[in-house]
Amino acid sequence: MKFSIYRYNPDTDKKPYMQDYDIELHEEDHMLLDALIRIKEHDDTLSLRKSCREGVCGSDSMNINGKNGLACITKLIDLEQPITLRPMPGLPVIRDLVVDMTQFFEHYNSVKPYLINNDPLPETERLQSPEDRAKLDGMYECILCGACTTSCPSFWWNPDKFVGPAGLLQANRFIMDSRDQATEERLENLEDPYRLYRCHNIMNCVEVCPKKLNPNAAIANIKDLKIERARETKATKKQIAIKSI
Amino acid sequence: MLIQLLTNKYPGMRLWLSQRLSAVMMASYIALLAILLIIQRPTGFEAWHAFVSPIWFKLISLVFFISLFIHAWLGVSDVFKDYIFNKTLRAYLQIIVDILLVIYLVWVSFILWNI
Repeated sequence: MKFSIYRYNPDTDKKPYMQDYDIELHEEDHMLLDALIRIKEHDDTLSLRKSCREGVCGSDSMNINGKNGLACITKLIDLEQPITLRPMPGLPVIRDLVVDMTQFFEHYNSVKPYLINNDPLPETERLQSPEDRAKLDGMYECILCGACTTSCPSFWWNPDKFVGPAGLLQANRFIMDSRDQATEERLENLEDPYRLYRCHNIMNCVEVCPKKLNPNAAIANIKDLKIERARETKATKKQIAIKSI
Repeated sequence: MLIQLLTNKYPGMRLWLSQRLSAVMMASYIALLAILLIIQRPTGFEAWHAFVSPIWFKLISLVFFISLFIHAWLGVSDVFKDYIFNKTLRAYLQIIVDILLVIYLVWVSFILWNI
């Protein structure tokens, strides 16, 4: 099977180049990651991240024939040859297919991806109704592989300012959590013209997500929620005014 | 409710919502225009003149063009924000767009009020 793989070692290479491989695969090699491990048997200088091998850890996300995805759950049979592999776009390359995800995780941290609840800790866990729990479906499953954010042109244009689809999906996950008490603060945190509003509904995020999630819908939900909150604030003020009369 | 979101307190929402509101205004005008044209079916100079002459028509047409220019201003500003990273160059380009849109608005008003 033929491969063309992006190679770059900043210590030895002046600039990146594409290296061709023609590898004899074994019968049990079904996934792209299997092939990459086979390539590494021949050329152990090739660098890539991998861990769980079953689409859960998100380590081996890369650009596969022009589209971001996870090597471990991408079937070789579905790929056109030569299979062109590049690191995820929009992030600095550390070496070969390994990118520096600092920027990605800084944005993720900036949305405070944890429950904020100032009530005293209950004896057991904080309970949710099944309906409230269902609101988190389609968001908690994110594995933070970065495939969506690095395929988003808005992120390429403003990587330091736009939170990106993965971060915004997680922002929405905690905004929608019935146990969270920082909704107002979270919405305020995304009010800057760049952090949320650089999303132009290009939908690359939806196209590439290996977990079939929809960050675009999450982003739209945050915008709708901002309008709803403003409406609620107005209604509350009106009620207070009526009561005071 | 919406007015509150168009204030400085909501810098991101203000731009996003203005773009949507201006789009709704334009779509409403186009729908109304289509309905009026289907009902009245003006043919010939006199009929067209009578169609566009009423003051209410001039006013809603002006609102349409104002919405169009707001929409265009926001769209072009977005493009500049995404592609022009040099702040001075971006500011100059924005001024050119602002001047052009003001000229267009004056021009459109002049045309509408000289029918």
